[in-house]
Amino acid sequence: MINLFDTLTPGYRIEGPEFAVSRESIRAFCEASLDYNPLHLDDNYMQSNFGKTHFGGIIMHGMNIFGLLTRLLTDWAYPVNAVHRRLETRWLKPVKPGDVIRPHGMVKAKQVTAKSRWVTIDVEVRNQRDEKVATGEALVEFPVEAAP
Amino acid sequence: MKQEFETDFWKDAKSRMIWDDIVPGEPRPTIPYTLTLEAIQRYCRAVGDLHPLYFDEKYARQTIYGGLIAPPSIHALLMFACTPKDDWMRSPGTINAGQSWSYHEPARPGDTITLRARALDKFIKKERLFAIHDNVFFNQHGEVICAGRGWTIRPI
Repeated sequence: MINLFDTLTPGYRIEGPEFAVSRESIRAFCEASLDYNPLHLDDNYMQSNFGKTHFGGIIMHGMNIFGLLTRLLTDWAYPVNAVHRRLETRWLKPVKPGDVIRPHGMVKAKQVTAKSRWVTIDVEVRNQRDEKVATGEALVEFPVEAAP
Repeated sequence: MKQEFETDFWKDAKSRMIWDDIVPGEPRPTIPYTLTLEAIQRYCRAVGDLHPLYFDEKYARQTIYGGLIAPPSIHALLMFACTPKDDWMRSPGTINAGQSWSYHEPARPGDTITLRARALDKFIKKERLFAIHDNVFFNQHGEVICAGRGWTIRPI
């Protein structure tokens, strides 16, 4: 196993696969997460205004996007026995059926602590118009005992 | 344990706390939930994550995890599975503004999971009603699976 932690430098990029959003994918996430909020089910309800926000149709679950970011991190961490420890996200734009979104990560900093080694990663999700729909930060641990 | 779930979130809308009723610091009632392999895999398929740690027992046994696990973000399911139908997280129109989660022990198929949850704070920003909820999920050994906070915009 390569000692990835030592070779990492700020700016290192991590790319995740595209995810095509459809009414079916949103419905599948309702069933998988038990989140049946009408935001994700009911186009008539979504014609109403939410304060100053007007969605105009059903939107993808924020937590489904959170799941795509999680996969970005675990697909990168598992093969090198690193551990995904933290993910913080904010949602910036609604994602709707027909959108194609993709998660990206970029190493921001490394930190060695008394007992372990850590990498902070800036993460974001962009849609097919290259608009940022979610942004956040992650922390991945590279345990010392797992190093070769 | 039979686990039934009401999928019509309007049905119990009247019994749920609105923003005005939420008391920061007050615990939310929660219910234990048995996480099945089927529920884990349904969640994984919905997010398009088919990693063998979630699907291939033989593979998983040879890793540092020693067996099948759930992906870290399984708390998306656990949040609804461990709360009763009158919980305010189910209020129609609840908008997720942000989340931050820390992960400790992975959740595993067969785990009986409990949730300790409370409202942490509430505030008004740009005419929007926000609540912050604070959640910790434990396994049957009392170990922390994950802990996190969510920022939601409450329906007016």
